[in-house]
Amino acid sequence: MTVRADGDDTLLAAVATGDREALAELYHRHAPWLVLRLSRRCADPGIVEEVVQDTFVAVWRGAARYRASGEVPAWIWGIGIRRLISRLRQRPAPIPRMHAHDTMVSAEDEVLISVEHGDLGAALGRLSPELRAVVQATVLDGLTTKEAATLLGIPRGTVKTRAARARRELREALA
Amino acid sequence: MSTTWHADPEALELYSAGHLDDVRASSLEAHLLACPHCRGAVAARVPRSQLDTMWNTIEDALDAPQPGIIELALLQLGVHEHVARLLAATSSLRLSWFLAEAFALGSAAFAAQHTAGTGAGGATLFLFLVLAALAPVAGVAAAFGPGVDPAYEIGIASPMRGDRLLFVRATAVLGASILIAGIAALALPDLDWTVTLWLLPALGLTLTTLAVATWLQPIAAACTVGLTWLVVAAASSVATTDPLAAFHVVGQLVSTLAIVTSVLVLAQRRSAYEGRIPS
Repeated sequence: MTVRADGDDTLLAAVATGDREALAELYHRHAPWLVLRLSRRCADPGIVEEVVQDTFVAVWRGAARYRASGEVPAWIWGIGIRRLISRLRQRPAPIPRMHAHDTMVSAEDEVLISVEHGDLGAALGRLSPELRAVVQATVLDGLTTKEAATLLGIPRGTVKTRAARARRELREALA
Repeated sequence: MSTTWHADPEALELYSAGHLDDVRASSLEAHLLACPHCRGAVAARVPRSQLDTMWNTIEDALDAPQPGIIELALLQLGVHEHVARLLAATSSLRLSWFLAEAFALGSAAFAAQHTAGTGAGGATLFLFLVLAALAPVAGVAAAFGPGVDPAYEIGIASPMRGDRLLFVRATAVLGASILIAGIAALALPDLDWTVTLWLLPALGLTLTTLAVATWLQPIAAACTVGLTWLVVAAASSVATTDPLAAFHVVGQLVSTLAIVTSVLVLAQRRSAYEGRIPS
């Protein structure tokens, strides 16, 4: 893989014209964080690999449809997370993702988090893991209720009630 | 796009290992979307060998031939991938073949429409019905055998019974052909029972061709059956001065008889296809 200094937009435009090297460079830049970010949402490394591969094949075929500018990583993430969801939909019981909260968070860490992220971070940190997962899927990953339900392996109604509860708790914490 | 704030190495380390707590991870993920510097920093923590293996798979996927329209449509209908591929490789299941057939039958129907009520009306209707009955025979002939089947060698080597794929293909050709002729028939002048007169002869001729093909090469079988049909249809219309003589009761009965006989012959002799005519 040769390293090119072009911006992501330029590379994507080159991919749209059939430039395989430009795709290689995009892969080189964006596959690693995609692997890590998807791994946090799916515990099966095999599925994550498949999804990343599918994503870049989709980038190759869909590069011509990319219109926005400067948001290539967000665009790639959008493809990746949706591929993951449709992949998870194929299996009836999704593998529960590993929860980072399994590791104990010391009181000192809690303070550091609230210092680093301010009130919102602390408020998010106080949510139960179930509520936090819903907030993460719907607000931070920008998924629809249906997509979040597939990703988290819970019914759609549950996503809605948990999202409502999370909103209420955050509002109280920030008031 | 790049920012002056960067995530601290300890957070990146924890994140890469999957141990960062949800709140900080969410914050880091939002930052990663906007920061090439930190993306580069986490990139170093994903094994190079894993990335290379995945890249090879991606290149393989890009190099693999893209399925055509017909194959995609078949896959959408739930046809198995290998059957769809072998069907899509059939000469007479290509878009160009369908277009040619639609053009021929459409023209005949158009001519019948425009000569309706005149002296040539019966002749053009005859032309349409004869062509509609012949179309699937030509399709079946163009589907098999060396020289016309691009997947001939693959078919011989495929782990599928020769007769089974032959019937799958013949059914697909017949179905597509009947569909096109049926649509073209809607352009006929009178939408009464005459628009369906070709249906039984088409089935009879196709099955007879398949039955004769247990003795002859498919193209020879199709030519024999097709020519016989043309001669009989033309002769009967000349002899009775009724252009559609071959499509009346006797013709339909003969067609039904041909269907039954051919099915019996095929049931008896299906093994004759094995190894000779490729699947």
